[in-house]
Amino acid sequence: MNRQTLFLSLILIAGLGVTILLARTIDAHRPAPDPNAIDESLYLTPTTARRMSLGFNGLAADWYWMRSLQYVGRKIISVPEDVPIDDLGQLNLKLLAPMLDTATTLDPNFLDPYEYAAVVLPAIDVEQAIRITAKGIEANPTAWRLYHQLGYIHWQLKDYKTASEIYRRGAEIPGAPPWMTAMTAKMAADGGSRTTGREIYTHMFEQSADEKVKDMARRRLIQLDSLDQRDGLRKLLTGYETRVGRCPATWREIQHLLRAVSAPVDRMGSPLDPTGAPYQLQAGKCEVDLDPKSEVLR
Amino acid sequence: MAETVTPIEITKRGTLWRIAAIARNAFREAVRDRVLYNLVIFVLLLTAAAIFIGELSGGQERKIIVDLGLSAMLLFGVFIAIFVGVGLVYKEIERRTIYAIFSKPVGRGEFLVGKYLGLCLTLLVNVVVMGLGVSLALVYVSKGWDPLIVTIWPAVLMIYMELMLITALALLFSSFSSPALSALLTFCVFIIGHFSAVLKNLAASLGSTGARWLFGALYYLLPNLANYSFITPAAHGRAPGTMFVLTTALYAVVYITIILSAATLVFSRRNFK
Repeated sequence: MNRQTLFLSLILIAGLGVTILLARTIDAHRPAPDPNAIDESLYLTPTTARRMSLGFNGLAADWYWMRSLQYVGRKIISVPEDVPIDDLGQLNLKLLAPMLDTATTLDPNFLDPYEYAAVVLPAIDVEQAIRITAKGIEANPTAWRLYHQLGYIHWQLKDYKTASEIYRRGAEIPGAPPWMTAMTAKMAADGGSRTTGREIYTHMFEQSADEKVKDMARRRLIQLDSLDQRDGLRKLLTGYETRVGRCPATWREIQHLLRAVSAPVDRMGSPLDPTGAPYQLQAGKCEVDLDPKSEVLR
Repeated sequence: MAETVTPIEITKRGTLWRIAAIARNAFREAVRDRVLYNLVIFVLLLTAAAIFIGELSGGQERKIIVDLGLSAMLLFGVFIAIFVGVGLVYKEIERRTIYAIFSKPVGRGEFLVGKYLGLCLTLLVNVVVMGLGVSLALVYVSKGWDPLIVTIWPAVLMIYMELMLITALALLFSSFSSPALSALLTFCVFIIGHFSAVLKNLAASLGSTGARWLFGALYYLLPNLANYSFITPAAHGRAPGTMFVLTTALYAVVYITIILSAATLVFSRRNFK
């Protein structure tokens, strides 16, 4: 190695070292980013984005899809408490609908953004949720899963008649599972019942490929189980009050009744909710509450 | 080692032999110019995507691998077609090797077609290797066989046809203008070719008869490259119908024939004596 090579190599290494130091200094002195900058409007309308994609529309749709996932993820991380995916209204996700709209305009056959819109958007902008899911049905008339998602939005709005009609249309699609027909009748006859809710979330859990949606459906099923359990416990407490003339002061007083219905209990004799947290008995009242730390409340 | 052939033998061996010899040399030149090195970047891109995309895509890695792989195939292919295509003739003129070629019994048309086929062969190697790369990435993300491995190939064929069209356009422009201008013009046609639907709508919606004629004429004169965009359906496991592929292939053949004829016509008038 001659002198010149050695000298130039040293400059290269030292220069890189100085660059790293300078970059770190600049990072340390960089002004804090504007928290509103993340929520700036999208520059391109969905139709313009499609026109400008030059045959790369699928890739552009993927980019908008991943960007919407990152956008929601960043917002969820920014709050200290754990927020369920179907209750993100408090997070000011005003760009989510335009992003999902753009992703689905770029690739109208991309089903996951429609399903995501149906689950996440109702808490933010229910009209956009309905519009995007209906757009998905128009572009993919044979995708029965989208009818299920649109029916779910209307079920949440307690519009059981429309939900039933949507399930009926979805059930007519060749290849739609038989439970879509059953849902048509259930929505019409008993839309507001827990059984219907259980059916919806069970099918959502089974059908969705998205882990977040699956988790949300699992939580909702746990909450429904807990509601059923609390109804059962209230029945036991009222029965006890009728026989004894007062409500029990502790769970130990009705241990024999809990054992008779095979309710799981902890060491203190308190019945447990589906997540393993003990139910709380309101002293002097025949009323049962969830433990404030229970996962059911998440 | 290159075969030494006398001018008399060249004349005897016929047009196809001469075109094949030029095509072979154009392919060798592209390989020597390290054009196929783009495959390394492609492989790195796909490998990174296959490993990391699962974390970001919400369970859509298969679709994204196909979209990314085929889009990169088109993009890299377009860059090769444009930047190598515009230099095919220009380099021969600049190095003055064209005088040596035309001192032999080689026609201008034969020279252009040979150069064109040589670059098409380079692009064919490129897209086939890239197609195999996408297939392997699919095997990796699906942890085994995936039906998309089969359904991407018609889309690869469509991409190749689009690249053949762009190469012909680059050759046409380079037959009468500088490489920079040829590259710009080819790129413009690539963009306009993907806006064909807009041209058609404009032609239909404009009030003025002159403008309607102009945009209508542009729609039919410029190549409709949107016909070859089958990447997005391929990512959903949908392949184009045989009739559609055959019609678009015929369109490409007719269009390429027109462009190469025009290029030969222009090139024949240039003086290399």
